[in-house]
Amino acid sequence: MEFHFDWSVFFESIPMLMRGVKFTIVITLGGLSLGFFLGALIGLMKLARHAFPRTVAITYIEAIRGTPMLVQAMFLYYGVPMALGIRIPPLTAGIIIIAVNSGAYIAEIVRGAVQSIDPGQTEAGRSIGLTRSQTMLYIVWPQAFKRMIPPLGNQFIISLKDTSLLMVIGVGELLRTGQEIVAVNFKAFEVYLAVAVVYLAMTLSIAKGLRMVENHLDMKTTR
Amino acid sequence: MEMIKIINLHKSYGDLEVIKGIDLDIKSGEVVCIIGPSGSGKSTVLRCVNRLETPTSGRIIVDGKDIMDPDTDINHVRTEAGMVFQQFNLFPHMTVLDNVTLGPVKVRKMPRSDADKLGLALLEKVGLADKARNYPEQLSGGQKQRVAIARALSLKPKVILFDEPTSALDPELVGEVLEVMRQLASEGMTMVVVTHEMGFARDVADRVIFIDDGVVQEDSNPGDFFSNPKNPRLRDFLGKVA
Repeated sequence: MEFHFDWSVFFESIPMLMRGVKFTIVITLGGLSLGFFLGALIGLMKLARHAFPRTVAITYIEAIRGTPMLVQAMFLYYGVPMALGIRIPPLTAGIIIIAVNSGAYIAEIVRGAVQSIDPGQTEAGRSIGLTRSQTMLYIVWPQAFKRMIPPLGNQFIISLKDTSLLMVIGVGELLRTGQEIVAVNFKAFEVYLAVAVVYLAMTLSIAKGLRMVENHLDMKTTR
Repeated sequence: MEMIKIINLHKSYGDLEVIKGIDLDIKSGEVVCIIGPSGSGKSTVLRCVNRLETPTSGRIIVDGKDIMDPDTDINHVRTEAGMVFQQFNLFPHMTVLDNVTLGPVKVRKMPRSDADKLGLALLEKVGLADKARNYPEQLSGGQKQRVAIARALSLKPKVILFDEPTSALDPELVGEVLEVMRQLASEGMTMVVVTHEMGFARDVADRVIFIDDGVVQEDSNPGDFFSNPKNPRLRDFLGKVA
């Protein structure tokens, strides 16, 4: 059997994929926004003085990092409703899974960046009478945040790609939309290539956007 | 009146005892220089005074407040005892002016415009008003340390603790920092200065203290301290640095 690459199928599938792109973007943005807050909270808890918040943070991070996201998704979408007797809509479940999953990795990014700030900065803050939280808010966090940007960019790209796993719980995101198109026209090569190109366009945009943020911050201060 | 009273201060890190019972009184308006070999515990004493280090035992009274008393607001004590660090520790993400006004704005809740006025006046005092809008990285070491002094002054403290303020500077930049410190001393500021600058100690200090091996070995006026040291360790030390 001879294979012909059909450009028209490739190009026609792209507009059809946009429905999926919309879900992919909503889940990525929603999941990462929540994931960033969760990660910042857990990351700071891991640096807490008291053992209890530290233990909670470590348990969470290890549990999430140590299990596949696919399993987490199946567990939340199919498992948890059986225990609680409530159904979680696929889109909500998708956002929660991305948030909970990226949160664990972001927590480590936050912890590392905060720890990398010279302790002299904290001492200087405390020496002018700032409280612990004021010192974190005005002195350590702004400096740490700048150092978080490159690894956060990585995590954003990983999470965006991870949304493709959510097709197993029936979220109509990009990959699932592609699969639905293939089910109709059987043009797997063209359609999945188009899916890959659309993912690539999105990840490259994230990388570009983060470079712009970094340059902007570099202009504001030199360090 | 006593500004700082240190009673039987001990400080250990694990099994290593670095401060082995220090008593020290510093009066209001006094300039006290603390010298000693590195590792002698002199910086640790200073850092215990505003509780950047927690003493293992002993008492420290700053402006009448026991810093170890759980009822004492340590943040308030720190506004009364400013600190200047060896490595400056300026906030790199803030302008020079914001470095100086952060304390007044966030701790004293001073309105921005008043804080800016105060900040500019303090920068004027250390000769850096023209650098207000610059970032710390654009300054020389000596300029950074002068900004750090302005920052320490921003809360109108009753005493300033200097932790080797010139040790990280290139030799040609030491003078401008000492000049600002001299001026502060002449205005009657209470100062505790951990330093290796013997000339400064001799000229400016009211008292010079030699700490070695975690205890005060000598505590006298600069004249006797440098010309007629009683303690053999101090004689040995002065012989090495002079």
